[in-house]
Amino acid sequence: MALIEFVDVGVCYRRRGGGETVALEQTSLTIAPGEFICIVGPSGCGKTTLLHCLDGLHSPTSGRILIDGREITGPGRDRAMVFQSASLMPWRTVVRNVTYGLELHGVPLREAIPRAQAMIELVGLAGFEDRHPGELSGGMQQRVNLARALVIGPDVILLDEPFAALDAQTRELMQTELLRVWDATKKTAVFITHQISEAVYLADRVVVMSARPGRVKAIVPVPIARPRPASARRDPQMYAIEAEVAALIDGAHAENVAV
Amino acid sequence: MTQLAQTTTGLVTDDIAVPRRRPVERTGFFGTRRATELISIVAGLALWELAARFAIHNTAFLAPPSLVAIRAWQMILDGTLAYNGWVSLQELIIGFVLGVAFGIAIGAAMVQWKPVNDALEVWISALYAAPIVALAPILIIWFGFGTSSKVAVVFIMVVFPMIISTQAGLESVDRRLLLVARSFCGSRWKTFRTVALPSAAPFIVSGMRQSVGRGLVGVVVGELFGAKAGLGNIITTASSVFDMPTLFVAVVTLALAGVLLTGILRSFELRLAAWRDVA
Repeated sequence: MALIEFVDVGVCYRRRGGGETVALEQTSLTIAPGEFICIVGPSGCGKTTLLHCLDGLHSPTSGRILIDGREITGPGRDRAMVFQSASLMPWRTVVRNVTYGLELHGVPLREAIPRAQAMIELVGLAGFEDRHPGELSGGMQQRVNLARALVIGPDVILLDEPFAALDAQTRELMQTELLRVWDATKKTAVFITHQISEAVYLADRVVVMSARPGRVKAIVPVPIARPRPASARRDPQMYAIEAEVAALIDGAHAENVAV
Repeated sequence: MTQLAQTTTGLVTDDIAVPRRRPVERTGFFGTRRATELISIVAGLALWELAARFAIHNTAFLAPPSLVAIRAWQMILDGTLAYNGWVSLQELIIGFVLGVAFGIAIGAAMVQWKPVNDALEVWISALYAAPIVALAPILIIWFGFGTSSKVAVVFIMVVFPMIISTQAGLESVDRRLLLVARSFCGSRWKTFRTVALPSAAPFIVSGMRQSVGRGLVGVVVGELFGAKAGLGNIITTASSVFDMPTLFVAVVTLALAGVLLTGILRSFELRLAAWRDVA
């Protein structure tokens, strides 16, 4: 059964000097409930556009995106986004940043704060509730970003290169942490990245996209058992799948050069 | 469970938290900025005293600070300073509060609705640049010699810088935060209240600090052109009889009020902007 369906989705941007840029072309993709999907591709392959369309921040020019059989027309409570930059309100404390989405949904604070508290514990930030984002490291800010999305209880969590700005070690730690939190909550996850090892380590299936125009080039399943501890990165099977994805992305590049 | 606990404690060692507050510099009194300021003030007063006693003997031109201080003490005792100061302060506060409220409302409306902006922009930039205090005599004619004319002068002095700083603040909003609000289905009003307004708050308070001085100018100029009471009125009546000590008492009181009000808003501004320093 499919939870999310992209049916021939196309997105065109009007260029400033006239003419159009095709960001996405004829993209079809089906995502099952509880699945962890990673989308990789070169920059300019329309992966962020695809995610924004799924969140309802952007409307496709053609085609349809269905969630639970209903067409997406705008942002909804069934989806939550973890943004690329942590995008926290610098004047709010950690706990009030986490309650932010709930507040916009009209949940009263006396109910929102205990829920945020529980989520802060889940992402490993207990004790930091009253700090401001400026006092946190980049990794901790991304934990708040993640908690803010999870606390509203979405069916689908969308992650737009959330660890791109972190150093390599923090990044690996955060990936393992994300899987731990995901195992605990069992949400459907759509994760955008340009790092192949990150995609393979996290995903059930890796969607490889090609650029200009962006389209789905291949879908690579990752049949490695869960839960995946940090040591799963050193699994030879993991390396083999990474090589396969890398070859597909190189192919995608080569095609562009040929055109 | 143990695995969870391990990863959680791993956080503290791997992600190093930034210290909560920056260390505050503290040194002794002498040789500090405060000491130099104090010496400067005392020296300035001494020069003034000497000039008034030995260079310009006519107290119709310049009164020495000692005479000003004596006059000030008399005016405090007989209540004239308190009464006239209170009249001016009332005019300032009412005009300032109205100017700030309207300035924020108009500035916000201009950022939220483009037609409002297009219609008002040209007027506001012209009136902000113009020496608007020149309108004071007209306002005195319209509103009379009482409080309301001075409130009107303060209002026009304050409202334009407030509109401009509100606009600047609202336009400085981080677009990424607006996207967060939209993603969480934030309505236009809630997005404005939770993202735009807090982002603009430091700009608005700094606009208030800058306009309070303009408001004070408005009070005095308004009272110079026609009033029944107030510090500006003291200046007019004292100068007509060459009563320099009284005139200086009013001027010094106004200067102190300006310093005090700006200082209050400055500390408010620093507290509001605290999150910006750590961010």
